[in-house]
Amino acid sequence: MEMLSGIIDNYYYMVAIILFVIGMYTMLTHANMIKKVIAMNIMDTSVFLMFVAIGYTHGAQAPIIKEGADTIYANPLPGALILTGIVVAVSVTAYALSLIVKIYRYYGTCDYDEICEIRSQE
Amino acid sequence: MGLADHFPALIIVVMFISAFLSPLLYRWAEKVSSYFVTASLLTAFVFSVALLVQVQQSGPVLYYMGGWPPPWGIELRADPLRVYILIVVISVSLWIFLYALRDLKHELKKTVIGWYYSLYSILVGSMAGIALTNDLFNLFVLMEICAISACAIISIKEDRECLEASFKYLILSAMGTGCFLLGVAMLYMATGYLNYSFIQVELAEAIIHYPLNIFTAAALFIAAFGTKAALFPLHVWLPDAHASAPTPSSAMLSGLVIKIYAFALFLMFYQVFPKTMLDTIPLNEIILWMAALGTMFGSIYAMIQTDLKKMLAYSSIGQISYIFMGIGFHHDLALVGGFYHIMVHAVTKALLFMTAGVIIYSTGVRKISDLAGIGRVLPLAMLAFTIGSASMIGIPGTGGLISKWYLALSALEIGRPFFVLVILASSLLNAIYYMPIVINAFMHQEDFQHDVRTVPLFMQVSLLVGMVFIIISGFFSRPVVSLLEQAASLLF
Amino acid sequence: MRITSRLVVPFIQIYGIYVVLHGHLSPGGSFSGGAIFGASLVLVALSFNLETGAKQISHQTASLLESGGVLGFVITGLVAIALGGNYLSNRAAGFPAGQAGELFSAGAILIITVFVGIKVASTIVTLFYNIIEGEK
Repeated sequence: MEMLSGIIDNYYYMVAIILFVIGMYTMLTHANMIKKVIAMNIMDTSVFLMFVAIGYTHGAQAPIIKEGADTIYANPLPGALILTGIVVAVSVTAYALSLIVKIYRYYGTCDYDEICEIRSQE
Repeated sequence: MGLADHFPALIIVVMFISAFLSPLLYRWAEKVSSYFVTASLLTAFVFSVALLVQVQQSGPVLYYMGGWPPPWGIELRADPLRVYILIVVISVSLWIFLYALRDLKHELKKTVIGWYYSLYSILVGSMAGIALTNDLFNLFVLMEICAISACAIISIKEDRECLEASFKYLILSAMGTGCFLLGVAMLYMATGYLNYSFIQVELAEAIIHYPLNIFTAAALFIAAFGTKAALFPLHVWLPDAHASAPTPSSAMLSGLVIKIYAFALFLMFYQVFPKTMLDTIPLNEIILWMAALGTMFGSIYAMIQTDLKKMLAYSSIGQISYIFMGIGFHHDLALVGGFYHIMVHAVTKALLFMTAGVIIYSTGVRKISDLAGIGRVLPLAMLAFTIGSASMIGIPGTGGLISKWYLALSALEIGRPFFVLVILASSLLNAIYYMPIVINAFMHQEDFQHDVRTVPLFMQVSLLVGMVFIIISGFFSRPVVSLLEQAASLLF
Repeated sequence: MRITSRLVVPFIQIYGIYVVLHGHLSPGGSFSGGAIFGASLVLVALSFNLETGAKQISHQTASLLESGGVLGFVITGLVAIALGGNYLSNRAAGFPAGQAGELFSAGAILIITVFVGIKVASTIVTLFYNIIEGEK
């Protein structure tokens, strides 16, 4: 009963972990290379969701100083971390996709298991 | 002096400046670009030696980026161990680059060599940054830069094997990064800081309230750094990646990149997590057993290989496991052995890969069975291979013995003689696959079958420098060992 | 499609420049503003043919802007060292910092944001051209 209420209170974290595991499992087991890249993006996005869930303060404003009002400001650090993480994920995705284009031109397939078959016969 | 205060940041900045100027220089003034990158590597080396002198005189140097003190700002920290790794990284990169100046024209297309210099500089700059940084998110960004540029210097050759190997490395490395980022989120959730020193202070109390968070973070870090540093069950990307890359990239990857991640794991365990955690929960046992299996399996896989570079790549798995054993024993002599092995193996494996590159450059031969009788035609290269193999096996007089000696000594001191047997058995297995090549090269009856081109002067000088260094590190090891002992004793 | 894109592209570019310049005053900043600007140039290349897109920004210009953007960032940090603070210092090194909330406050951040915005835009254009032209 306590565990159930614990899960329901923290459902942001639960969803983030579930997405992370889905992303990691797909990245390692599915054969299609583009699916692996998409799963990597899902995995990174789930960690960003975790960061947002950590940095949430109830009823807080965006962390930009406005004149006069003396309200609670949200923590700006997770936002900066997530922005940097998004840039990194985009760079890795761009590089992985360009590698896939070149591999497709050499091997003729986007399926990683078939590529391993072709390599093992050479 | 004004400039001397800024050395930690300037080392990284100099490498990034050379990284972004070299494509422009290569497009318009080709010869200048290689001189420029060499000059920037030399500058970084001089700065890091000056930083070592500073650290020896006045203790750890803390540098605040942007003038903001932590916890608001990013901090760079230079203490003896980090500066030691920094000097190893920059000097070995400089040495490999001098070899690469001649070898790259043979292996890559002409238009991409400028980009290779740029990627090389980014790689060296990011490794220097990983060695110096004191902030978890800065570590994440630098790790990603290192991973992308490491994959890129493999795939820049653009033939069938290296593209697939580079893709496999990228995907597994991205998995490691995802785990690492989740670990950072766990630690940030428990403490609210991202700076190593601040987290260590906070975790000493927080570990009582949130034990599961912190152990999850530790487990995720082991998974992340184990994947990137090729710890035993997570090593599957390494053979293809290191064997199909151009030779300077293989030397750089096998020699430096996997070790900087082992060093980062060491920093996590000893400078981020509180000191009492490893005494109560023996996480280093996991690393120790995986490393012991790795030394065995690395050698067993290497024995059955027929391609020279793939055999060297599998041998790297065994050797990096020695460094992980050094971390796994949780004893100061083991740390001395492990860190000495970082330096020795970086030089040795780079020397062996360079020898393989020289053999491929002058004869085009890659299979081990075709190397019969080559010692009479390329004597300098095979002498380098012999000395490198001796260091891998651990023959007295070379640097490889010193590190294994300290590892075995610490295994006896903590009362686990089983690991002495593991070290001896793996040395024997190393001998089983290195010695036949050496003996076959020099003493085979028939002569060498293929044509031989002359080896350029730069490559010969590089091989000579490597050989001399291995022998010096075997006999005159006292200065480095005393620095490491002094640094390791502070942690216990 | 072509008429719509020809009408819309200037507005997208102005919006991108606005996001870059107001990085310290509202959400956004260098990466998102640069991505918007780069996306407008990619839109031109997608809706017309590639030659029209290549006329907007040629290969040499793109590569120069890329390296130049990062070099500008790094040199700003070095200027901070020359002015007396640590690397990449802002107020401690004496960059002009006006009132909080105005456009030209927070000296070094604006300079860095503009350089990184230029670099990100040219990177997105270069990536697009390399993938498309590689297929031919």
